[in-house]
Amino acid sequence: MNALSQPLHLKISEAKIVSPLRSSVFTKPDFFTPNTAPASRSIYSRFTGGATVPERRRMSGAAMATSNVDATDDRIARIASTIRVIPDFPKPGILFQDITTLLLDHKAFKDTIDLFVERYKDKNINVIAGIEARGFIFGPPIALAIGAKFVPMRKPKKLPGEVISEEYSLEYGTDIMEMHVGAVQPGENAVVVDDLIATGGTLNAAISLLGRVGVTVVECACVIELKELKGREKLGDNPLFVLVS
Amino acid sequence: MFAAENGLKGDPRLEAISDAIRVIPHFPKPGIMFQDITPLFLNHKVFKDTVDIFVERYRDMAISVVAGIEARGFMFAPCIALAIGAKFVPLRKRGKLPGKVISEAYELEYGKDCLEMHVGAVQQGEKAVVIDDLVATGGTISAAIKLLECVGAEVVECACVIGVPELIKAENRLNGKALYMLVEPNEVQGCC
Repeated sequence: MNALSQPLHLKISEAKIVSPLRSSVFTKPDFFTPNTAPASRSIYSRFTGGATVPERRRMSGAAMATSNVDATDDRIARIASTIRVIPDFPKPGILFQDITTLLLDHKAFKDTIDLFVERYKDKNINVIAGIEARGFIFGPPIALAIGAKFVPMRKPKKLPGEVISEEYSLEYGTDIMEMHVGAVQPGENAVVVDDLIATGGTLNAAISLLGRVGVTVVECACVIELKELKGREKLGDNPLFVLVS
Repeated sequence: MFAAENGLKGDPRLEAISDAIRVIPHFPKPGIMFQDITPLFLNHKVFKDTVDIFVERYRDMAISVVAGIEARGFMFAPCIALAIGAKFVPLRKRGKLPGKVISEAYELEYGKDCLEMHVGAVQQGEKAVVIDDLVATGGTISAAIKLLECVGAEVVECACVIGVPELIKAENRLNGKALYMLVEPNEVQGCC
């Protein structure tokens, strides 16, 4: 019996008193999400462009003073606060979520990886598949820490040697994702990693590619979810885990 | 310099790393024997050993910046940065980084390309290493060195898994910076 046919059951922390202020900040975890509830950020906020200082999410004074502040919530709060919003990139109207500022904060970067590692270690995950290019930043450290292999999912014509390809839709037109033949084996369990999920098109392409060669995608893991773009719905039955949404 | 000449002579990890690199002939075009490092990531022990060798070398050098060159440098550099307590700075192709950038052009065989780094990512006086999977002509790494020096960082060394010895000058330096490489390119195995 494949242990991974069971939902990823994570230890629920002992009951804690959640102040009304904090409950408005964090989304309520359900069975499939761990007690590391994603930190809410108002992504489409009043940001009117211009300065590119990071939008810092502030925790209330009451929450900070509570002796029950969950260490995991602290880590997610710090991670969320390091993400920089760049307006009108790559084109007008888009508020780009820039994780490069997270990578400059060693503790935040380490905490990001630790949160994924805590979730996936000892769960019989054989493969971490990272999507080019920002998935290459988060995927390998996770793979190293949990003893899995790292498999890059690349744009067309980047991988040398024999590949399998999956075409997927973009807002305008299509793109292609490729994976090396022989990188993964039927029956392996995989987690797909990227920095962010928007519409879910890229993640779906990765799930398809891996599925075509008999790999089970246990979950997709992203640092950021843009909820308004409903990527989670597009993934359908495929679970998604994010840190910040 | 190659790792074997610098304290790691006979280290079995190097042989395993070399064995993990696959040669793909005539990619991306005829005559090029492409050194494919992706099989290295399929072997957890070899991947870990590769990162460990770099970490052992840099952990006590007060390095605060590990700069990785897109895209294959991204597969190694963050692991090294995390292990030595440094920040990871991605050096990217033109137009990929969203914020304000500085750019450095470099020569390709035909034409030019450009490497970019975010303004503010690196501070004056920081010590940096540059990481990529392979160094051949050194054009990309030279551009990386210039970007870092432009903001006043000190590039302590440039490190790659694979170094092409014929193309690197005898003194194993690039723009005056030391090069540290783990293995030489593999030959094609068998008939192709």
